Amino acid sequence: MWTYIARRLLQSVVVIIGVTFISFIALQIGGDPTYLFVSERATEEEIEMVRRALGFDRPLHVQYLSFLGNLLQGDFGMSLSYRQPAIDIVLGALPATIELTLLSILVSVGLAVPFGVFAALYRGTALDGGIMTVAMFGQSVPNFWQGIMMILFLGLYLKWFPISGHVPFLLPLLQGDLAAAFGNLPMALYYLAMPAVAVGTYSLARNARLVRSSMLEVLGQDYVRTARSKGLTEYTVIVHHALRNAWLPVVTMIGLEFGFLIGGVVVIETVFSYPGIGRLVFNAINQRDIPVVQAAVVLLSMVFICLNLIVDLIYARIDPRVKL
Amino acid sequence: MTRTRLLAAAGASALLFGTTALATPPADTIAVGLSADITTFEPANISSRDNANIARHIFGTLYNITGEGVVTPDLAENLEISEDGLHYVYTLREGLACHDGEALTAEDAAYTFNRAKNPDNKFTGNTPGFVFSSIGFESAEALDDRRVQINLARKNPIAFGLIAEVYIHCKDSYEKMSLDEASANPIGSGPYRLASWTRGSEVVLEKVANPNSPAQMERIVWRIIPEASTRSAELIAGNVDIITNVAPDQIDAVNASGTAMVQAVQGTRRMYVGFNLSQPFREMPGGEAIQDPMVRRALQYAVDVPAICKQLLNFECVRATGIVNPPNANQSLTPYPYDPAMAEKMLDEAGWPRGADGVRFAIRFQAGRGRYLNDVNVVQAIAQYLEDVGLKIELDVMEWGSVYVPLIRQRNVGPLFFLGTGGALWSPLYDMTDLARVESGTNYTHWSDPRWFDRWADIAATDDPAAQRKIIDEMLQVFYDDGPWLHLYFQPDFYGVSNRVNFVARPDEKVYLFSTGLK
Repeated sequence: MWTYIARRLLQSVVVIIGVTFISFIALQIGGDPTYLFVSERATEEEIEMVRRALGFDRPLHVQYLSFLGNLLQGDFGMSLSYRQPAIDIVLGALPATIELTLLSILVSVGLAVPFGVFAALYRGTALDGGIMTVAMFGQSVPNFWQGIMMILFLGLYLKWFPISGHVPFLLPLLQGDLAAAFGNLPMALYYLAMPAVAVGTYSLARNARLVRSSMLEVLGQDYVRTARSKGLTEYTVIVHHALRNAWLPVVTMIGLEFGFLIGGVVVIETVFSYPGIGRLVFNAINQRDIPVVQAAVVLLSMVFICLNLIVDLIYARIDPRVKL
Repeated sequence: MTRTRLLAAAGASALLFGTTALATPPADTIAVGLSADITTFEPANISSRDNANIARHIFGTLYNITGEGVVTPDLAENLEISEDGLHYVYTLREGLACHDGEALTAEDAAYTFNRAKNPDNKFTGNTPGFVFSSIGFESAEALDDRRVQINLARKNPIAFGLIAEVYIHCKDSYEKMSLDEASANPIGSGPYRLASWTRGSEVVLEKVANPNSPAQMERIVWRIIPEASTRSAELIAGNVDIITNVAPDQIDAVNASGTAMVQAVQGTRRMYVGFNLSQPFREMPGGEAIQDPMVRRALQYAVDVPAICKQLLNFECVRATGIVNPPNANQSLTPYPYDPAMAEKMLDEAGWPRGADGVRFAIRFQAGRGRYLNDVNVVQAIAQYLEDVGLKIELDVMEWGSVYVPLIRQRNVGPLFFLGTGGALWSPLYDMTDLARVESGTNYTHWSDPRWFDRWADIAATDDPAAQRKIIDEMLQVFYDDGPWLHLYFQPDFYGVSNRVNFVARPDEKVYLFSTGLK
């Protein structure tokens, strides 16, 4: 297993270099970013001075190799907009997104599994039809629209939840301020509730369908029939025998989803004024803040790679047929 | 009480506290919802309007210009300008203090200017990037404790107003800080100091203890709420007192809420369709046609600007007559009416009759997306109006920041392009200096009419305001008749304002809350 982990980590270096290269080129396609950092009344000399100051006067390959060289020393450069180390800006926004992602996964998986299991157990009944109809609705509704509707109904009309904003939990926790972190926890969850549901609805619907089809497949297997014929309780058959095997595709999906959500919640972060990494990167791309984009890309790639690795390890653990 | 009940009670308390926290801001606090993130508190790097609105509460300026364009003293109480117009000597008020407790002196003011100019600092904000390049700033020096002299390379009739945009900060504190530290720890001399900044979320300012402070509220909370409908919801719910950039389609909802109203003001930003007259564009389809001033004038009649304002911007506007904001415009000019028949007649006379396919000439029309109010719909409407009089429009709407801005800055956009440029009310020359020279970076059209450009020397040659005004009016007449812009409107700004505060919106996009309080 250790050889497998080492090989995967080595592969990840190539992946990270690849994504930094692609993002670097993508940001350069629009033309010289210098113009975003000079006044419209700047003279050619002033534009040239700013271009030099920002390092955009160097050939592209030199800029990129310089970035890679600094990256090896853990230096992502200074944000062009914030004028602070780019990695600090990104790390400052990451905990908020992780909070949102974790809670939305929790909402998604916590509800998808019972929904999927019940739909499978009561296949063809009104309960199954109802759950699958709701699941289809969840997959069809754009999450930004759902978010705005939740704001208007649950936030503005019923006043049950805050309309927007964020109370940090992970950031003070990571900074070692346990009192602040746990003091904030109830409010953090309160503020997270609506965005987490808006983010999690799509994957909840998809996972419920996945669990249902997986359960249906498993429930028809010989070993389930054998378990029942041994006189085991229905609970034991479902939870300990059927569900354990039905889990496998769901675990894979959750791992992938976690990675996608961390970088892909920009719309919901914008709708709920949530200060996470998606919004940060979106703004950085618009402002051509290349160091921030690159720092985020590297960080998110590493998170994605690690998550995939963890999923593979879990997969091997819960399915003895899989050898690493 | 069992552990479960305790937890339930704690949860209920938290929710109750949360609900309380979501209620109207306290009586000594005003909350503002902004549409864009702010990035820095480094005074020499601030460039966006939202960022500047917050910073202005922390940093004083030598003079102040009101929303109506009236000049009032701020940190300085007197100004003397040398006869050659190259030296501005400001006298600071007595008893000024920095937020770090030190006295604010002329040395701090001179330091502010020279620090922003220092190339080692690599600043790119409004002060070094716009003010200094516009006025030809050379250096600043403290003559004594209260008098600071600003030295310019050339005489500039609008230098005074531009110098009033520079945020004065405090030498002792800034010399101790690295540039990193300075970007998050502003030490100014304004009525408020920074209490906290949660990046991407909110900025809290608290009032500086000073019996002479003009500030009414103890705290100002600036919340970053990018989504327009969320901002409106927060305003209607009473969680913020003021929001900027209300979407036109949400105005009725805010006004019907009973808790807030929308203040619509005609802003100073001049919206226009530019005609790129440069040689490379002359060779493109339509490029030759727009070289003719008669064609450009004909197209002025083709677009129904008041209808665009009303239908797409939810605002009754008066069409612009030129490059200068209405109070300072040539008052003898009247906006071009919407008269498509006149447009067609003039195009015929100019030698561009409709062909067998009904098309006079084809032309590309470029625009950016998402920068101006309802911009995509506006350019689509303009394109349709132009097609109605026989043009075949190739509409090219592109991403604003990464694609359109570089094209604009390189003056490489067109032949038709949609743009808005910031203006001011305190001087017509401020608005006109976009076209100070043929090769000016802001002369995106490459217009070169000597009846405009040669007159700048005439303006510089006289200090008589009446004579200057006469020259300005003549230049504006040329711009109206044969200029390189299809005149549109001054972009309206919509502010949502809670019924509990007495905020009055300004036309220049500045949100200054010094005199704002509760009703």
